[in-house]
Formats: sequence, structure tokens, C-alpha cells
Amino acid sequence: MSATTTPRGVRTTAGARTGGPTFGRVVASEWTKLTSLRSPWWTGLVTVVAAGALAFMFATASSVDPGFEPTRDLATGLMLAQVGPLVLGVLLGAGEFRTGAARTTFTLVPRRWPVLAAQTVVVAGFALGLAVLTVAATVVGVLPSAVSRDLPLRLTVGDTPGILAGMVLLVVGVTLVGYALGTLLRRTVPALVTALGVVLVLPIVLAMAGDPGGGTMGAAPPHSVTALGTIGAFTPGTAGQLLTTPASYGPMPGMPDVGPVGGGLVLGAWIVLLLTVAAVRLRTRDVR
Amino acid sequence: MIEVEALTKRYGSTTAVDGLTFTARPGTVTGFLGPNGAGKSTTMRVVVGLERATAGTTRVDGRRYADLPAPLHAVGVMLDARSVHPGRTASKHLLAMAQTHGIGKARVREVIAQTGLEPVAHRRAGTFSLGMGQRLGIAGALLGDPQTLVLDEPVNGLDPDGVLWVRRLVRELAAEGRTVLLSSHLMHELALCADRVVIIGRGRLLADATVQDIVERSERAGAVRVRTTDPEPLARELLALGAQVVPQEGGVLQVRGTSVDEVGTAARRCGATVLELAAESGTLEEAYLQLTGDAVEYRTADTRGGAR
Amino acid sequence: MTTLDAGRAATRPPRGAPTRPGPTFPRVLAAEWTKLTSVPSNPWLALGTVVVTAGTAYGLGLFVRTGDGRSGSWVVVSGYVVAQLGFLVLGAVVGTAEHTTGTARTTFTAVPRRLPVLGAQAVVVAVAAAVTAVVALGASYLATTGPRAGEAPAVDLAVPGTARALAGFVVLAVAVALLGLALGMLLRRPADAIVTGLVLVFLADFVLAANPGAATDTIRAALPSAGARLLQDDAALAALDTATHGPQLGPWGGGAVIGAWVVVAFCAAGYRLGRHDVR
Repeated sequence: MSATTTPRGVRTTAGARTGGPTFGRVVASEWTKLTSLRSPWWTGLVTVVAAGALAFMFATASSVDPGFEPTRDLATGLMLAQVGPLVLGVLLGAGEFRTGAARTTFTLVPRRWPVLAAQTVVVAGFALGLAVLTVAATVVGVLPSAVSRDLPLRLTVGDTPGILAGMVLLVVGVTLVGYALGTLLRRTVPALVTALGVVLVLPIVLAMAGDPGGGTMGAAPPHSVTALGTIGAFTPGTAGQLLTTPASYGPMPGMPDVGPVGGGLVLGAWIVLLLTVAAVRLRTRDVR
Repeated sequence: MIEVEALTKRYGSTTAVDGLTFTARPGTVTGFLGPNGAGKSTTMRVVVGLERATAGTTRVDGRRYADLPAPLHAVGVMLDARSVHPGRTASKHLLAMAQTHGIGKARVREVIAQTGLEPVAHRRAGTFSLGMGQRLGIAGALLGDPQTLVLDEPVNGLDPDGVLWVRRLVRELAAEGRTVLLSSHLMHELALCADRVVIIGRGRLLADATVQDIVERSERAGAVRVRTTDPEPLARELLALGAQVVPQEGGVLQVRGTSVDEVGTAARRCGATVLELAAESGTLEEAYLQLTGDAVEYRTADTRGGAR
Repeated sequence: MTTLDAGRAATRPPRGAPTRPGPTFPRVLAAEWTKLTSVPSNPWLALGTVVVTAGTAYGLGLFVRTGDGRSGSWVVVSGYVVAQLGFLVLGAVVGTAEHTTGTARTTFTAVPRRLPVLGAQAVVVAVAAAVTAVVALGASYLATTGPRAGEAPAVDLAVPGTARALAGFVVLAVAVALLGLALGMLLRRPADAIVTGLVLVFLADFVLAANPGAATDTIRAALPSAGARLLQDDAALAALDTATHGPQLGPWGGGAVIGAWVVVAFCAAGYRLGRHDVR
């Protein structure tokens, strides 16, 4: 360090007494923190590209079928592409504690809950932008197949607006579930394993249980609500999938007829529950 | 002002802090000393609300930390240089801190300049050396121009230039009427910049006094050291005067109860040749080691058995 | 210190050293085993994997009826769908722990040739995964036999391919754990390794299966998830082969595919370890 940095008096200039951490200020701070990292941008890019590529692939594969309906393939790839937002949420939630940055944050805002609330707002906001871009990418992905079959791609008719909205909500919801788990469990690997296991693997296990006849889903006996189906509808992963099923399809095999709106409510309830537990932990426990 | 009253913090069965009471006053630099694991960092974390006290209270400017309307302006905190996300640049980290209190970018730039971080302001904190990370922590503490500063080992890892800078900085802050509480293991450095020292060991208060008072408690203080070619005759002469004499290696005698002049004249009387004669003054390090001798949590084995 | 002292320090053997000092492979192996078992989260992960596997097998077994076309071995190994996450994470955690905790600095100054550490970790992870898989398989068996079996078919070694399917569970578990280790050593961040591994081993396959066709089935046959054929008995394999539009691999082909992925991943990890800086 050179001699030129002698200590000047700690006089205030623009930084004079400005008051304390209001909620708006904490939100601005959290937005700066989120956008100053590299991983949200990379994860976002991978998600958008993957969703578009998968939509393209599925649409092309099914475009040879006589009953091809381009809007049906918008959401299929999202089941895989949602890994991106989920992991992003977990990393953002756990990152504060894993890196020790939480020590700085909670000395600035000692009442703590505003930080949780502000981070939720900021994560949801980022995820919303990501969701819109992702959905746009899927639309672009199915476009070539629709064009090749001379089918118009009508986005405002029938179930399609519901599907598009459901897709946006799914991406935002899944990011928030990841964030809530990350901030509750505070360590990357446990939070990640829980998130992946519950949101992605569990619905598949439940589907396997409901369909032991081997691989072909929807060989349909008359619809009856099974216990397993009911449990399944209330898990966050399946609820998320329900968000993107067309409303006119009727109930999935074995599940109660909750439809996409019901799926969205279940997902939302899980987010609220996890965030509440995280808030309780934040208020009552030490930040190490 | 920081007031700690009967603070106790337990983690399960371990008591990290046990009934600690002291006050750090405005206009003074209060040094916080103690062996490793004595509870210094724990105490500081409780003061700034990161951890909850098991019993007792800590107050900043008369209030609980969590009740302060604008914490960044009241207390500047530097606990651990690793409290930064390694993926963030230094300037973004400080900017995000500033935004919580509506502080503008000009102040952020000012603090970056003041701490000598300009060359690395746009590098990711994960690439910083120890010293740069410390400076970033200090920058964060100064950001709100606070009335009180709580610094945990601020000179750790700084080059001599930086150590000098921190010393001048804290003295200047105290001269402006602010309260500074800083912990350190560098005794000589602390003796130069602190006014009062609080020494704790095993979570309990061992001493709370000015640097001068503590130094005078060290055993060497008040003794006279004389090196001579004939220690035995001189020792006999001094004992006859009623002094306490402790012989040491190399013809050195440590004498208590007489003045330097009396030792000199006694040497003349018995014909001993004096090679060195001076009054001893203690150091903070010696006083500290004597005070905390029993309270050291982690002892090392005598190194002579290992390394020879 | 006199010159005599300096000489004495240089010629005397170091304290505590064995007769032939230095990091030999068995010593590195012992060190890696100690490192794996001394962190409480690793045994807990293994235990959790066992419990969840058995629980899943039990749960899925409740819904299988004898006429469904599923054999007894399917019921016992059905917990694999969840267990694979546990094995993958076990490998990934060992592979990334050095870099996330900074232990790498200690490890690679003790063993500067570096690659023996990778080899030792592979052996240790393989052993840990194999032991966990055998215990999980046994627990799944117990959870699905006797009164707990309900109406599901029992495991019958006379059914062709059953023994291979049961052994395949252990082999596949080791392969997935090794893949996780290699990805962890290569990518150095746990989130990256776990997500990449899960996508390659499971998710990609599941999503692609929704759209059967020549292209998607060929891709599926080339992913590590093809290794799941090792879990299936002859009847299930025959059904799979008739249904697929891609290459008909059979269990050994599937095993070879995932084996190839593991080898390539290890080569990449070894290259990175040898050439790149350790931070």
C-alpha cells in the first residue's frame, strides 16, 4: 500500500445521515447482490436454450403424427428445463450462509425478516423475467414444426393461454421452492438433494407406483381417485406439472380433479410453508 | 458507546462467555485481548445481534442492536474477512451494503479510495489476498460513517504499511469522539493504539484498565537490571541493603526495592564492574501473558522436545 | 544454533516417519478411507440411501399385483429410482469436498503427483457404494417379502435374469457413484456435479421417453441411463427391446455404455487434476 493513502478524516460527503434500512432499500440491495453474480445469468441462459431445444425436438418428433397439435409440445421439455430454475433458487438461498455473507447482511438489517422478504421478491422478479424468456423460447421451438405442417400456431385460443401462463408460474414457483429450501437448510448439498428429490424424482416414483403395469401411461380404466393420486397431487413437483396441463384434459389418472389452478395453489402453499419455517429459523436462531 | 453487562453465552455444554461486564466509551480505543477461544469473537457477535445471549445484555448507545433505526450509521462492523460472497466484486459488495441504507455511490467510492482498494475494486472477492480481504472488511465498517466501530483483528494479514494505517485510522476516529472496540493479538501494536484494554480468559473478565496500569502490573516493571562481571559480590551488597535480588544468566541481576542510583553506588562500593544498568519497564505482552497464564485454552507442548 | 546442530537435523530421519517415507498408493488409499468415514454426513448419506431405497421398494411393492407383468426382482430393485440420487451424491461429495473445503491444498502438497489421490478416491467410493448397495438391496428384500409382500410376486431365482438384475443393482450403484466422483473432480462444485449427473443418469432419459422415436431412443441408448438395463430381468428386457426404436442393447450393452461414460469422465477429471492449478 502506498503512502498516498494516508487516512483522511472520515468526513461525510454524499453519505450523510440517510436513515435506516427501509424495505425498498433492502430490495434494491438484494437486487444488486443477485445481479452481481455470474451464476444466475448462466443458469438462465442454459434454461432458455434447453427449453427451446427440447420443445423443438419434441415438436419435430411428433409432427409426423396425424393428430399433431403444436401447442401440446410446448410444456413437455419444461419438465427437464425446470432443473435450471430450481437449482438457481437453491444456490441463491443457500449462498448467503455458505459464503458467510449472511454475517454482513444481518448486521446491516438486524430485524432479519425484511431480508428474507426482499430476497423472495427479488428472486421471484428475476425468475419472472427468466420464465417469460423460457416460454418464448418454447414457442419459437415449436414454430418450425407447425410451419412444416401448415398448422397455424394460435396462442390465444382454447387451452393455450392457460398453458403459457402455467408455464410461467411453474418456472417462478420452482425457483421459489428452491430458494425457500436453500435459505431454510443453509447448506448447498442437503438443500439441492431435497429439492431435486422432492420436486423431480418424487413425482416419477409416484407415477411408477400408480402404473405398475409397465411403462404405458394412461391406458385408461374409468377414472377413480386413488389414495396415491391424491397424495401425489399435493406434492410440489406434481402440483407444478399440473400447472401446465391443459385445463380441458380433465383429471390425471388417479388424481382428484384439481386442474391447473389447483396445482398452482398447492405449489404456492408449499412455498409459503417453507418460507415461513425459514423465517422462524431466521428469527430464533443464531447466524454463524 | 458499547455496554456489556453480565453477558453469558453457552453453546450446549460449553460456556463461551461467562458473566462478562465492561464498557467501551466514546473517544477511546478499547482493546480487546485474550487467548484463542477466550470468547472475544463471540462477545462481538452478540453485541451486533448475530447471536443471542444466553443471559445478560449488550447495548449500543443505550439500545439493543436490533432496535437501532440505522445500524450501519451507528456501528461499523468488521468481524470476519470471509463475510463476503466470493463471486461478487468488491465494489458491488459495498454498493449492496450502501443501498440498504440509501447511501450513495459517491460514499462507496470514497471508502474504496480510503482503504486503498481502488486497484482491485472490480475484481471478484474470491480472488483477494488476505490483506485485501481485510481492507474490504474495514471499508464496509467505515461505509456508514458510524459513531461506533467493532473490529475483530483488523490488522490480521496486513503489511506494515497497512498496520500503521489502521493504527492512525483508529486513533483519529477516537479523537473525533467515536467509540472503537478492537481485538488483536499484536500486543506491541495494541499498546500503541489503545487507551484501555479489556483482557478476558475462558470467557471471564481478567482485567479492565488503561494500558499503563496493566503494563505496570507485569513483573518486570519496577525492577532494575544490572549486568556485571562480579555478580556475587554485588548481590551480597544489595541483599544487605534489603533489596530482593534474582540472579539470571550471563552475570545479570534483577533487583527490586532499590533505585537505579542505589544499585550503581552499591556496585562502586563492592568494586564490581558494571556493564549494563537500567530500570526495567514491563510490556503489555508480559503483563498479558502473566494475567492469562492460567486461562489459556490451547497450550502448546514445549517445542524443544520436538524440533531439535 | 551451531553448525553442528544444523548438520544433525539434516541427517537424522524425521520424527514419526516409517522406514520408507513417502506417499505410496496403499497409504493414500488408507488416508482417503479415513477422510470419507470421518465426516459424519457421509455415513448418514449412506444410511439415508438405504432407508429410502427400502421404503420406496416397500411402497411400490404395495401396488404391484402378480398379473401385472412385473417380476419379483423388479419389486426388490425398484428402490433404485430414488437410490441413484444418493449414490450420485456420495460420489459427487467426495469429488468436490477437496475443493469446497480447501482441503485440496493439504492433500496435494502431501501427494504432489495428484493422480494417486484420484485413484484412491475411486477405490474408496466404489467400496462404499458397493457396501451401501448390498445393504440397501438386503433391506429392500426384507421390506418386500413375507407378510409385507402383499400380492406382489416373490423374488424367484428361477426366473431368467433375476440373479443378474439383483447383482446389477450393486454394479449400477457403483457405476453411478463413480460417475458422480469423476464429475465432482472435474467440475469442482457440488451443484454442477449433482445436476449434471442427475440429468445424464435419469432425467434426460425420462423426458425423452415421453416422445418415443428413432432419434430419441438412440440418444437414450447413448446416455449413462442406458445402464439401467442391468437392473432388468430377461422378460423386461425383451419387452424393452421390442418397444424401442433405437439400438437394442441388452444388459451388457447398457453396462458398457455407462462404463464408457465413467472412463471418459475419469480421463477428463484426471487431465484437469494433473494440469490445472489447485486453488
